[in-house]
Amino acid sequence: MMGQGEIETELLAFLRREIFAPETNLTPETNLIAAGFDSMSLVRLLLFIETHYGLWIPESEITNATLLNVRALAATVARLLHEK
Amino acid sequence: MNLIELLDAAADRWPQKPALIEDSTIVSYVALAEKINLFAEKLKSLQLPSGARVGLCFPNSVNYVALTYALWKNSFTVVPVPTECPPEELFEIATTMELSAILSEKPLAQSESLAPEIFVTRFALEKPADNHGLNIAFIRFTSGTTNARKGVVLTHETIHARVLAANKAFQISEADTVIWCLPMAHHFLITIVLYLNVGATVVLARYVTARPFLEATNKFRGTILYASPFHFSLLARDHSAPQIESVRLAVSTTCALLQDVAEQFFKRFGKPLLPALGVIELGLVALNSKDPLRRWNSVGKPIADFQVKILSPDENGVGEIAVAGPGIFDAYAAPWQSHETILRDGWFVTGDLGRFDADGFLFLLSRKTAVINLAGRKVFPEEIEAVLNRHPAVAESRVFGRAHPHLGEVVEAEIVLAGAANGFEDLPAFCHEHLAAFKIPARFHVVDALPRTPVTGKIRRNPAVV
Repeated sequence: MMGQGEIETELLAFLRREIFAPETNLTPETNLIAAGFDSMSLVRLLLFIETHYGLWIPESEITNATLLNVRALAATVARLLHEK
Repeated sequence: MNLIELLDAAADRWPQKPALIEDSTIVSYVALAEKINLFAEKLKSLQLPSGARVGLCFPNSVNYVALTYALWKNSFTVVPVPTECPPEELFEIATTMELSAILSEKPLAQSESLAPEIFVTRFALEKPADNHGLNIAFIRFTSGTTNARKGVVLTHETIHARVLAANKAFQISEADTVIWCLPMAHHFLITIVLYLNVGATVVLARYVTARPFLEATNKFRGTILYASPFHFSLLARDHSAPQIESVRLAVSTTCALLQDVAEQFFKRFGKPLLPALGVIELGLVALNSKDPLRRWNSVGKPIADFQVKILSPDENGVGEIAVAGPGIFDAYAAPWQSHETILRDGWFVTGDLGRFDADGFLFLLSRKTAVINLAGRKVFPEEIEAVLNRHPAVAESRVFGRAHPHLGEVVEAEIVLAGAANGFEDLPAFCHEHLAAFKIPARFHVVDALPRTPVTGKIRRNPAVV
């Protein structure tokens, strides 16, 4: 089972690579929505998680708490993977 | 005419009524008109010729709206440039659309400050763009291949005609408050311009998740929601208590609605989602306000003044959809083609396949073209293939849409490697450098060869399956 830390690292790499501008200093604690994460970013993130972990995050889990930052997001992904 | 006259008339009629609400800032109609005048004066200092094309690269904001009208006040042409465009794409738009300048919220290379949080980048044109004598207000850049038509040209008169036609279906008035979340760079005319024409209030709800969107709807007593199926799917799965009693119209646009979303939304809020058909060349063509619950997958009947017909229908009544009506686009910009050369006896052939049922409800079935629709954003396969093919590890590629249970369709790519099976891991990052993020394929499949048509040897587009 993949650990939360590993997921966090991978999500951070994905967001830095494909979502945020290179000058954004994204850390696990950066508030995603405040940093410019929008609904198209969300679509891209959901697709990455689906492709990479075989998991579609249910819409009911897509809350401001889940998208607070990469750490919270990784915790949600880890929990949902564990529940699968 | 000039669309600024409509805004000025609204400001005279409803001076103190809120026009736009952005976060905690409420901008009345008269305050909006003053802001437009201020920006118009600043823009005049650029000394551009009448009709000059100016790119607008801003996120949803009061400034986006005010700058659009300020450009119109100076008789300039507005060309929206999505903020997600990387610099390479942005400058390609500038070249193809013959922009004299781009206004942006963030500084670009060689930009100057025009006002707080407004930067201008000027381009030296050998000669001003030729508007062929038209009173152009707006050009919507549409990407595509080198052979594709780029840029849908709309005059002030055309936009006015389609706004009036659309409102025969929506019946929006000064009593309405619209909760807005779609990108203005992609949606502005039969929406924002319409709302501000009739004295409605627009709440800029820049939200990603459902809860704040719901809160804004209830805080401002929103009467109209206009969003994509993806936004509605988030709302439908929200488990909190608040309802949306004030909402009288929830319009689903940009891509096909999924049955599950339509049903869940109605179950959660007791309001139907109304599928609509909007086409950039045409405006709002159809809206299903008559039977959205049973016929959730129909865009309804053509709205007043529009005629829709099915060309060469097969035994099931399925054929290509052609439309005639008010506010049809005026031309394509690059290369310039007037609409007379494109319309067939006054009908615009959409490239969508569809059929009517016995009661006259229109159903969209599929497209004849290979365009992919990712949650409402149009993606042209050839444009992405051109980027992929520039990568040293890629010999050739095929980009296609794959059906997706939650999003309708997603972008995927097949690649044939140029040599040894390595060195293509950086393709997503490579794409990110050259393409707007929504165009990056979600999956890359390495294949030995691409499917081709037997006679011409062209890459097979339909059916787009692997």
